[in-house]
Amino acid sequence: MKIIGELNCIGLCLSLSDFAPYIGLLIVVSIALLAAKQMRARPKNRLFTFVSAQVVALLAILATFYIMQCSEMLTVYLYSSYVVISTILIFGVLRFYDRILVRRLDAKPVDGIMDWVQEFVDALTSASVYYYDSAVPKAFAAGRSIFVSVGLLEALDDDELKAVLAHEAWHIRNNSRTPFLKQLSGYG
Amino acid sequence: MVKLDQINISNKGLTKFFSPIEATILRALWADGDMMTSELTEKTKIPLTSVAGTLDRLVKAGYASRTVDNVNGRVRYVYSPVYSEDEAASEITTRVLDSLVDAFGPLAVENFSKYSGKK
Repeated sequence: MKIIGELNCIGLCLSLSDFAPYIGLLIVVSIALLAAKQMRARPKNRLFTFVSAQVVALLAILATFYIMQCSEMLTVYLYSSYVVISTILIFGVLRFYDRILVRRLDAKPVDGIMDWVQEFVDALTSASVYYYDSAVPKAFAAGRSIFVSVGLLEALDDDELKAVLAHEAWHIRNNSRTPFLKQLSGYG
Repeated sequence: MVKLDQINISNKGLTKFFSPIEATILRALWADGDMMTSELTEKTKIPLTSVAGTLDRLVKAGYASRTVDNVNGRVRYVYSPVYSEDEAASEITTRVLDSLVDAFGPLAVENFSKYSGKK
């Protein structure tokens, strides 16, 4: 019931305000941009229209926030915090997830046990290579780091290991760093 | 299994307390001491893909320990047993007796003394 009351309150504030038509316009533009995103063919254009739509929607929220005269603004606060938290999660956690993994796996720079591995990856992309304590042969990329288990280093000879490292370096260069952006742009 | 939270009384020997692969690895370590992964897979005739996860479990549970070694540019794990066979046996016995006393109290203790009297 409280939420409905607040929605009514927001509606009242909007209708009393001179800004209402502009906010309506912003929302229409935002929806139009979202629709346009689906029709764009080139990944960069898709991404650009998507981000523009988000920015316009954010402007609409900020404008609503600004003209609100009522005291009950719980829904606005909720939505704003949702936007802030999800933005941090999407851009922050994916970019810095490797830091978390290093701590969780107790991973150490590969230079400590093999000399040529980091050098080999440096030639392909800028990423740090870590090894972690496990006999199960595994390799994966996250953020700007490549992780390999000791079991993998044990099981593969140099050429095989180079193939695995090149594959992980490809993830860093192309996809894994920003998988959500790739998805939004409808590419890959 | 490794944590002794499940005991199969009807199994034979060590497999009462460990999985068959765990038991084979532990017996190999007790028999020959320190071993590299390749030696372990040779001795036990179990493929690497099957022992790898088990070795991680044994190390985590504290029955085996390992160090990373670099031999001629090749990275190797060297495994060694944490307990001797006797130490492992007495640890397992203590844990099982504890759980029996926990479940049956004085009655379990009474049966222990009867049992040692029979021997």
